[in-house]
Amino acid sequence: MNRMSRRHFLRSASIGLGVAGGLAGGLGGCASTMKGDIAPKSGRRVVVIGGGWGGATAARYIRMTDPTIEVVLLEPNRQFISCPFSNLVLSGLRSIEALTRSYDGLRGRGVNVIHESATAIEPDTKRVRIGEGYLTYDRLVVSPGIDFLWDQVDGLPAARETVLHAWKAGTQTVELAAQIRSMADGGVFVLTVPPVAYRCPPGPYERICQVAWYLKQNKPKSKVIVLDANQNIVSKTGLFRTAWQAYPNIDYRASNRVIAVDTSTKEVRTEFDRVKYDVLNLIPPQRAGAIAVQADLVGADKRWCEVDHVTYESVKHKDIHVVGDSTIGLPVPKSGNVANAMGKAAALSIVSLLNGQPVPLMPPGNTCYSWVSDKEAIAVVNAYKIENNKVVQIEQKLTPAQSVSVAQRAEGWRQSIWADVLL
Amino acid sequence: MTTFRIPAALAAAALGLLAGFGPAGAAGPLDNPGFALVITCSACHGQNGNSRSDMMPIIAGLDQAYFKRQIENYAAGRRPSPEMEPYAKQIQFLGLDQIAAYFMAQKREATLIRVSPDAVAKGKVAAAQCVICHGEGGKGDPARLIPGLAGQPPGYLAQQMLLFKQDTRDPGDPLLAAKKALMRTIPDSQFPELAAFYSSLR
Repeated sequence: MNRMSRRHFLRSASIGLGVAGGLAGGLGGCASTMKGDIAPKSGRRVVVIGGGWGGATAARYIRMTDPTIEVVLLEPNRQFISCPFSNLVLSGLRSIEALTRSYDGLRGRGVNVIHESATAIEPDTKRVRIGEGYLTYDRLVVSPGIDFLWDQVDGLPAARETVLHAWKAGTQTVELAAQIRSMADGGVFVLTVPPVAYRCPPGPYERICQVAWYLKQNKPKSKVIVLDANQNIVSKTGLFRTAWQAYPNIDYRASNRVIAVDTSTKEVRTEFDRVKYDVLNLIPPQRAGAIAVQADLVGADKRWCEVDHVTYESVKHKDIHVVGDSTIGLPVPKSGNVANAMGKAAALSIVSLLNGQPVPLMPPGNTCYSWVSDKEAIAVVNAYKIENNKVVQIEQKLTPAQSVSVAQRAEGWRQSIWADVLL
Repeated sequence: MTTFRIPAALAAAALGLLAGFGPAGAAGPLDNPGFALVITCSACHGQNGNSRSDMMPIIAGLDQAYFKRQIENYAAGRRPSPEMEPYAKQIQFLGLDQIAAYFMAQKREATLIRVSPDAVAKGKVAAAQCVICHGEGGKGDPARLIPGLAGQPPGYLAQQMLLFKQDTRDPGDPLLAAKKALMRTIPDSQFPELAAFYSSLR
């Protein structure tokens, strides 16, 4: 992501604060410099780091449930791009534009959206640093998504600009789609699945369906080789196995962890094997977004953030709530729907705490669709309760089979939940 | 939007924190304890049950007896739905009575999904048989557990008609026998038109 020019940033910051309104004194002289307190806090303020599924939802629900609380959302991307449905960009069934939404809905609710990255968190002084400036907060929501453990694959740190993950929807998704499109008929597409835990457990397998579907239609001599670090398909296992019967062009290899990549010979290496590729989609092992690691919100594994199951407050730092894919310890998948649920529960917890009210128990839910062809989808649904202040699964249910009807409901889910995150 | 008194603003004023904020009395959904119980639902069913999607029904303003019956049927598998069976159990855990009452108290807003006037016109003709139960305006009859169809998303209505016809929704339920018999006389191709008509009603 290109960093914004300083002038541009200041303009968006002041516009944003103008929309937030109600701030005694407004920005005043603060806008003249990025140093020091960028926007002195007059009332109660929540800063949200990250405008993805968790952070955007949290910002929206705080403003919705208590409009007297100022909310500042820090998100470097100008627009929201949905990871769910982005595998359909690879098969050409959707455009990236169809998955792109603006943050205007949040602005309309008085969220002060600033397109900048948080550079550090100072829990003791309750400040978020943005370059040389800072914002103070009463409570902080950290929703940084995932980052990659590049150095777990030999050769990857040097090749990270050219070896695509396409695991954050956007530029890389479009680039990977273009590479697949321009691959010769007979070319080999290699996809590597990282070891759990990673973002979106069924995501790699849905991607395999989409690429296999595209190749079957357009490049019948091509094949998809899947190198899965895990012992089996991680999610919706039986349903994906059945779906893959329609794609004889899939060569699935379980327990094949990629350990090295060489872009000069177009080859990846596993513990046992060398595999040649024409197009490579290497999804690296993952951890919580960099800011969470840097701010010491991660546990002993240095990867994921442990949180309270009711409020999503970090177990490591007071007044900081962590939501979405960067969390660990709840029996939930790292999905957009779960991040949305966590964002809501964190928001209502924060509003309750700031108003001295008891925090209600708000268990999450997970509805997760995967497209297995151009028309059909499958789904898994998880419902939860909270017992003794811990999230416990009540039930997991899978669709009995793939169908057009499930795909229609997937579209319905998309329409609904984007509104719940952004409007 | 339902409006509630807002203790947040009152508390802030009492603490003397803020001078420039609006008067107490602005909307504050957290004042209603039901709001925290239904935040899972809004991912699919929209704010306060006003779905914005074509496939998920609007549950704002739904009669509470009808709501409870559906949740019980989902949980027991009588109304099969991989999505709603787990969530129905979650609702039972959180408090079915309170959640049913919450949604009934919400103001229903008609779907934003648009339908073609041509389909509406055809559907209106075909709907002559439906008014006996669902009423002229598609408002339903809560006393007989018949839901209002007016303004529901068309995709949802069409899918439910198909499920009734196939007898996969509440199979063997005597209350639905006549409805299903009627559905079996209607060709599948007519369901989207009937759905468009009822969806267009306000």
